[in-house]
Amino acid sequence: MISAIEFSSFSEFLNMGGYAFNVWAVYGLFFVFIAANLVAPVLKRKSILKEQSRRLRQHESSVKSHS
Amino acid sequence: MWLWFSKLGSPKWFYELSEKWLPWLIGAMAICLTVAVVWALLYLPPDYQQGYTSRILVVHVAVAGTSLAFFPLMAVAGVITLVWKMKLADMVAKNAAPLGAWFSFITLATGSIWGSVSWGTWWEWTDSRLVSMLFQFFLFLGVISLRSALENSETAAKACALLSIVGCINVVVIKYSVEWWNTLHQPASPVSLNGDSPNGPEFWIATGIMILAVYLFFTVSLILSTRNEILVRERRSQWVQDIVAKKTGAGVRQTV
Repeated sequence: MISAIEFSSFSEFLNMGGYAFNVWAVYGLFFVFIAANLVAPVLKRKSILKEQSRRLRQHESSVKSHS
Repeated sequence: MWLWFSKLGSPKWFYELSEKWLPWLIGAMAICLTVAVVWALLYLPPDYQQGYTSRILVVHVAVAGTSLAFFPLMAVAGVITLVWKMKLADMVAKNAAPLGAWFSFITLATGSIWGSVSWGTWWEWTDSRLVSMLFQFFLFLGVISLRSALENSETAAKACALLSIVGCINVVVIKYSVEWWNTLHQPASPVSLNGDSPNGPEFWIATGIMILAVYLFFTVSLILSTRNEILVRERRSQWVQDIVAKKTGAGVRQTV
């Protein structure tokens, strides 16, 4: 079913049969979309953990000072 | 059954289960995505009418198809929230809305970039498929702003559930728009692997793998943001505090 790679040179691959802008814009957008929606929750998780550990420490020190 | 159901609704149960599933889901997503993209960009033969712009449709069809899953998902989650007051369902619904807006936007953008060549126009207000998809994008923005506008989280969950049910009607309109009103957007080509479709079997296999990849991505992203939501909403419970302590080294007091 897969006969061969459609292109014989790298520049031909980049050119996409004359539709370079359209094809690469779509695939570029697609990757930004995927990367953004995976990286954003990971970064948010880090900031949540940081914030909550700060709270825990605060809570801890206030408990200590009362006892 | 009820035990299973209440267990499923427990944020802790979901958090621990998803921890086990995530590596597999991410691995499967990475493999499917790589195979689909390499196949589409290197091996897919040019369409006799569209040339290499048919490669755009591999992405467009997968993202557009998946975008239709959001409102049914949010509606089901909304009903579960309303009837059984399951916290987890509302967390999923809340985090699905922004992701759904992204999916709709990417569908519109990739479709537009494809249409600029094949139809000779970036946008057409009279086409039902295009306009109903744009409407879906605005419905997602509506759900997001409705939730942020309503302070009471129970009222917000109710209102969002109702709007999600309305969104499901629009999903049906999107799906059948190309058959009810025949304007610009072409109906889906018949799927066939025997070569009797305008698109060859290579196109359908590449698109099939891409659909799988996009669904896996949708699942992974939604699980990640729902886990964040759990960490925030359940921050006062002991098990979340234990996780925070373990991950950051804070609050070791319990063990000493």
